[in-house]
Amino acid sequence: MDFALNDEQQLLRDTARALVTREWSTALVRAHMGDPSVADELTKRLTDWGALAEGPLVDLCLFLEECGAGLVAGPFVPTVGLYAPLLATLGDAEGFTAVTTGGATGTVAIADRTGAWVPNDGATKFFVPEADRVDHVAVIGPGPSVTVTGPVSPRFIATVDTSRRLFEVDAPPSTASTAPAVRLDPDLLADVQARWYVAAAAELIGTARSMFEMALAYAKQREQFGRPIGSFQAIQHKLANMALANESAWSAVYYAAMAIDAADPDRHRAAHVAKAAAGTAAKLAAKDGIQIHGGIGYTWEHDLHLFIRRFESSEHLLGTTEWHEDRLADLIL
Amino acid sequence: MELGWGPDEEAFRAELAAFLDANAPPEALGHDFAQDEGDGGIPQWARDWQARLFDSGWLVPGYPPELGGRDATPAQSLIYMEELAMRGLPRALHFPGYAIVAPSLLEFGSDEQQALVPAALRGDTVWCIGMSEPGAGSDLASLSTRAVLDGDTFIVNGQKVWTSYAMWAQMCFCYVRTDPNAAKHKGISVLIIDMDTDGIDIRPLRHLSGNAEFAEVFFEDVEVPVTNVVGDVNDGWRITMGSLAHERGGLWVQGVSGLEHALGDLVKLAKATGRDTDPVVRRKLAEAYVTVHSLRALGYKGFSSFAQGSSAPEHSYLKLATSEQGKALYELGVEIAGGPAIVTDNDWAPGSGRWMRSFFTSFASTIAGGSSEIQRNIIAERILGLPRG
Repeated sequence: MDFALNDEQQLLRDTARALVTREWSTALVRAHMGDPSVADELTKRLTDWGALAEGPLVDLCLFLEECGAGLVAGPFVPTVGLYAPLLATLGDAEGFTAVTTGGATGTVAIADRTGAWVPNDGATKFFVPEADRVDHVAVIGPGPSVTVTGPVSPRFIATVDTSRRLFEVDAPPSTASTAPAVRLDPDLLADVQARWYVAAAAELIGTARSMFEMALAYAKQREQFGRPIGSFQAIQHKLANMALANESAWSAVYYAAMAIDAADPDRHRAAHVAKAAAGTAAKLAAKDGIQIHGGIGYTWEHDLHLFIRRFESSEHLLGTTEWHEDRLADLIL
Repeated sequence: MELGWGPDEEAFRAELAAFLDANAPPEALGHDFAQDEGDGGIPQWARDWQARLFDSGWLVPGYPPELGGRDATPAQSLIYMEELAMRGLPRALHFPGYAIVAPSLLEFGSDEQQALVPAALRGDTVWCIGMSEPGAGSDLASLSTRAVLDGDTFIVNGQKVWTSYAMWAQMCFCYVRTDPNAAKHKGISVLIIDMDTDGIDIRPLRHLSGNAEFAEVFFEDVEVPVTNVVGDVNDGWRITMGSLAHERGGLWVQGVSGLEHALGDLVKLAKATGRDTDPVVRRKLAEAYVTVHSLRALGYKGFSSFAQGSSAPEHSYLKLATSEQGKALYELGVEIAGGPAIVTDNDWAPGSGRWMRSFFTSFASTIAGGSSEIQRNIIAERILGLPRG
């Protein structure tokens, strides 16, 4: 039972952190609001890391955590987090290799209008990440069945988070699809979904970490009544609770990733725990993070809201905290 | 990062499991750590069990055989905790001797004092710890029990409180003020006090759950030989709550396993009462499951840092979180039990009063051993580096 990162994993995390810091920034997140093409350069750099999709989920999570911490935009995260594991399960070796070594991008269309990421017979799929700038869209229909298409003409959904663009995609009529619908064993889809939840949770704990670090730094620097506000117990105890929630969620995410890598029987419960723990920690970091910042945190000018917006997006994609808790209740009761 | 343990650890686990299956006393299995021990003192089966563990090298596996162990590695010590916790099996019903006094004497004691260690571990000597006072709770270093040197003898005057097991103890590991003029952390010494010495008055203190397992201890002109000072005079603060160094990476296991057992019982309670179809109850049970299982993962993360020699701040988080979550779980048990939760002992009442008893007892867990507020202070100042308040 080893939670320590080995040398390669530490290097991977450090490399991801350096890459995101060098290629992306909150200034670019702001520029991306009006012009999504500002993420193209970042996406080009990130496609070199497509091979992460064929390695252990733990390694992918280390990378995605840094993407979440830096509010990475563009198709990379849905490609390696959602699309690639689905293709691998479908046995689409050609499509999968195109992602891992060829720089191809893709996304997944499954959710209905309520935001439930489970197979349904709706003719339109909602909340499809980055659907206008990927090479492929995998549409999951009832059965479950999967149809992989080329670029589609999606309809943009305006959301609170401009750093992750979401779309409506019409399920392709069976005659028009570039590839025929492939039936997928529901148990195999369940394993893919567990990966999605954990990948999303990894990204989310990165965002939570950033909000916590901003609040901690501000508490040490901001002075009121002649002393740093971080010397007041009311602030200290909030930060202690945030740190505990983040540490717990981090541990839950990597436990789940290890459980999936080992095909452990606990993996489905662990995946729900991971997404719910990450959502809970991030919500605390957002709410108390802004409280600790006081008025300045409530301004457009301050970057904190960019992270809060991303947290809300991540919380509501792939099932909210409460949705995962209810699935977990079905498994434990 | 890897799930599971290596072959050496699994072999150790198998050997331990065989020993426990053959030897664990039936009274000990399924021990409810959330319940206190009542007024009855330390039962004979518990004394026999502690001695058998010591004699078989299974009391503190990380210690050498002469100290009741088998030179186990940190990972093996963690597995030991897991196997005991899984069975709800305590090592002993009085922890101060083996968990605090023995390791402190091994680190700081004279040769003569170290000779007391085997009996403290085996449970032949019952120890209590004289720490808290009426005026020194969270601010422990402000303690005022005085010890004044007169020739070769300290004369001790003062009062301790919340002293667990004092009425059954032969010895007290007692923190006293030996220099009233020094800064508060600097004038403290540790004395070994024989509880049969004249001038000691022990008054059992009944607590909220109705039982008395701790006491007030009054010292009036109690004479203690100067050779009973542990370490140096006025250097006692360094000998703070020592715990078993080998086991520091796994001390959380009992707490987290206790939460898992309680959660399992809550699921049974929900089914038995038909509340398992109530969406509110389902949501709350799942929420608790998320927290408890995240804490187990956090414990393993802390153990990994510990095994690599890092300071593992996770343990401060775990003390805070397991005690708070325990309270929340028992509160949920009271809620699910409904109206009959207040019934203390009747077969028709769900859990026969267990949930309310455990809820009451759990109040102690967020106070004893450093309150949750003190834990948050420690996390804020020592781990997060916030300025002292």
